[in-house]
Amino acid sequence: MLLLAGLAVFGMFAAPANAESAPAEQAASAAPPAEGDVAIKVRVQNQVQDEATGKTNKEPIVGASIQVLGADGAVVAEGVTDDKGLATIPVPVKADYTVKLDESSLPDGFVLVDGTAERQVLEAKFVTSSVTVNYFTGQAQRVTIGWWSQFAQRLADGARLGLVLAMCAVGLSLIFGTTGLTNFAHGEMVTFGAMIAYILNIDVGLHLVLAAPIAIIAGGLFGVAFDGVVFGPLRRRKIGLVSQMVVTVGLAIVLKNAFLWQLGGRVKQFSDFNNQECTSIGPVCITPRDLTTSALSLVILVAVAFALQRTRLGKATRAVSDNPDLASSTGIDSQKIIRIVWILGGMLAATGGIFRGLDEGISPTLGADLLFLMFAGITLGGLGSAFGALVGGFVIGIFVEVTTLGIPIFPGKDWPDPFNWIHNGVPSELKNVPAYLIMIVVLLVRPQGILGRRERVG
Amino acid sequence: MFANILDLPFDAILTQTLSAFFGVNAMYFAIAAIGLNVQFGYAGLLNFGQAGFMACGAYAVGMTTHYFDISFWWGIPIAVTYAVVFGLIMGIPTLRLRADYLAIVTIALAEVIRLVVRSVTFKKYFNGSDGINGFADTFRRVTPFDDAKRYKLYPFDTSNGTGATVLLLVVFGVIAVLAGRVLLGRFGRERSNRGVMWAVFAGASFLVVLVISSYVEYGGQSFKAIIVGWILAAVFGAFVFMLMRSPWGRVLKGIREDEEAVRSLGKSVYSYKMQALIIGGVIATFSGMMLSLDRGSVQPDNYSRDVTFYVLTALVLGGAAKVSGSIVGPMLFWGILSFTDVFLNSLFKEWGNQIGIFGWKFVSNSSQVGMIVQGMIGLMLVLLMVFRPQGLFGNRKEMALDGR
Repeated sequence: MLLLAGLAVFGMFAAPANAESAPAEQAASAAPPAEGDVAIKVRVQNQVQDEATGKTNKEPIVGASIQVLGADGAVVAEGVTDDKGLATIPVPVKADYTVKLDESSLPDGFVLVDGTAERQVLEAKFVTSSVTVNYFTGQAQRVTIGWWSQFAQRLADGARLGLVLAMCAVGLSLIFGTTGLTNFAHGEMVTFGAMIAYILNIDVGLHLVLAAPIAIIAGGLFGVAFDGVVFGPLRRRKIGLVSQMVVTVGLAIVLKNAFLWQLGGRVKQFSDFNNQECTSIGPVCITPRDLTTSALSLVILVAVAFALQRTRLGKATRAVSDNPDLASSTGIDSQKIIRIVWILGGMLAATGGIFRGLDEGISPTLGADLLFLMFAGITLGGLGSAFGALVGGFVIGIFVEVTTLGIPIFPGKDWPDPFNWIHNGVPSELKNVPAYLIMIVVLLVRPQGILGRRERVG
Repeated sequence: MFANILDLPFDAILTQTLSAFFGVNAMYFAIAAIGLNVQFGYAGLLNFGQAGFMACGAYAVGMTTHYFDISFWWGIPIAVTYAVVFGLIMGIPTLRLRADYLAIVTIALAEVIRLVVRSVTFKKYFNGSDGINGFADTFRRVTPFDDAKRYKLYPFDTSNGTGATVLLLVVFGVIAVLAGRVLLGRFGRERSNRGVMWAVFAGASFLVVLVISSYVEYGGQSFKAIIVGWILAAVFGAFVFMLMRSPWGRVLKGIREDEEAVRSLGKSVYSYKMQALIIGGVIATFSGMMLSLDRGSVQPDNYSRDVTFYVLTALVLGGAAKVSGSIVGPMLFWGILSFTDVFLNSLFKEWGNQIGIFGWKFVSNSSQVGMIVQGMIGLMLVLLMVFRPQGLFGNRKEMALDGR
């Protein structure tokens, strides 16, 4: 039965014929890495920060000259970047090299952003026949905009992330509430939605407006397949919850690699709603696309909340979530509720995945990257509570984006290491870390979360 | 087509597979799995942050040269300190709570460690995504193997001296006797002539090990780490074996089975769990240490969350709550893995991208082989948990964990 499930999953990916994988990559990887083909690829790009959206765009730099030095300091090979900003420099063998960028060959006004023109390339880094070294340049000066408008912008970005997180986390939390299962494959359910929408959009050629609903339905089916094929039978066989949790981990690994296998590791874009100009609303600049997805997420979340609060089915769901045995004894078909929760969770996850994919591009780790933020949100809101997940996910989303902006107290003062974050904000490479730490603090102080109840814990 | 199958380089496949049984990967997985076994197998703690503990060890030795600028040997106490601190941070908020909280927090904290060590912000301490190099010289100097030579594990190989031959035979003998004991426990429990059975099993195991060893050879540099690592694994394995037969170990197993019962006996469940978490973590740091000593380099992405799950898969394959399982599991895991990897890769080389239907290619570039192999690890974990949670050597009753 499991095998069938696996086949079904793989079958869904059978449609695309890897149309987009670039010929260059295929040529490089199809040929076995012979010892003579060893090369160092150097990419030089200029980073331009779009002040309005805060996003960084990269442009290639042409004509930068690069030297490759051997261990003894002698020049082994040289190269100049082409119109893609890429220089492929063949080297004789896999060994330790030093790559040196001639800074005077950069166009006027461009400087390297993170310092060093010399980079070490170690033998161990030659996993395949080539190693890529990246250089980034940027203009030295930055336009400053007011702190409050920056804050408003981050708040808007955070709200967008928060809505996606809330949407994904509700399903995760409901599944936990009704079955007791912490689903580590939920991130892959999110990715699944985005991937299906991408395949329909690019390979089948449907407009995203059509592709998205189909992908969402597919997400629902995917969710119910999880329950019907894997977790339902496991529950009936009375396999322990910890074992089931490990099964979700295994499924997450399978799915992630299935995505990678069929679609490759690069970040992709839908063919519609790209490159929109952002329009200013007060201090915030937001594209019509992001505005629409935010509004849609809000509508969906309100609808879910309303359904949980008012409809018979929603009440039954909450009842099962509170106490499955008691709910069953009042005549609620808890197995049916669990199935519905998996469908709903799958559909919400797929929707979140598509919205996130529109925002940040589609990658095989799209959902997995959100998973811990979802957990943080759920922990904050209270494990098992749908409203807690909703609120918690939203708060965490805003928190993640806003903490990247520092509070400029005593401007001009150089703070010592741990405190300069207060001034400069959390670096964007670490922006998820505060959310994880919040999760730990919540567990220490109030493990049942903001909206959870005491007896759920321990 | 049949001729093509015979064209596959089966000799190379066999050598690679059998070398993987005792190779560096199996070695560092085994140490990590012994640690994870204390937490997951014996105490029932779902630690998904083993990669974080491994990173503690790797970065401790790496930082001795990169940041502290002290002798390499200080790396060991520093690693233990890191692991203890990391274990406390993980355990304090979660060990009073249900199992899934521990799982979530450990995996998130391990991720925090990886993000921090590979960040530009903390480059001063951890050298970012470039990793740390050049700390392994001391280790390589003091271990008595020649980098340029290739070492064979076959005892009667002419390049081995008499000392090596005797030593290898003794080690194989010990392995064979232990393996015989395990096999006896599995298949010969009700027999009357147990002594004879043991001898038969041990003899058969000895022959198998001898045949395997004739295919196995390593370069001098990785041989150093392999030998030291497997000695460490044996020491830790024996330590855990004895620990779990002590009163302390019995309490730990009691906690796994029924926490309330142990609490009602007046034991501090929290403190026992914390000790188990930290002991397992300290053992796992040595795994990261041995990996980085072999590579001569610490790379942050060697400690991603997938590593934890692969170690878990290896442990479950061997059998959790069994020391033998935590050692044999990783060996089999890497044997299977490198066999599939080499086999699929040479299949791909032979047939290119001919396998497929309706224009869809099963494999259209060689990097997809790696993804298929990794996906199979996940599938292996699922199938094991569902159909054989006790793995090869485990006891099914011991793996009936329930969090709720």
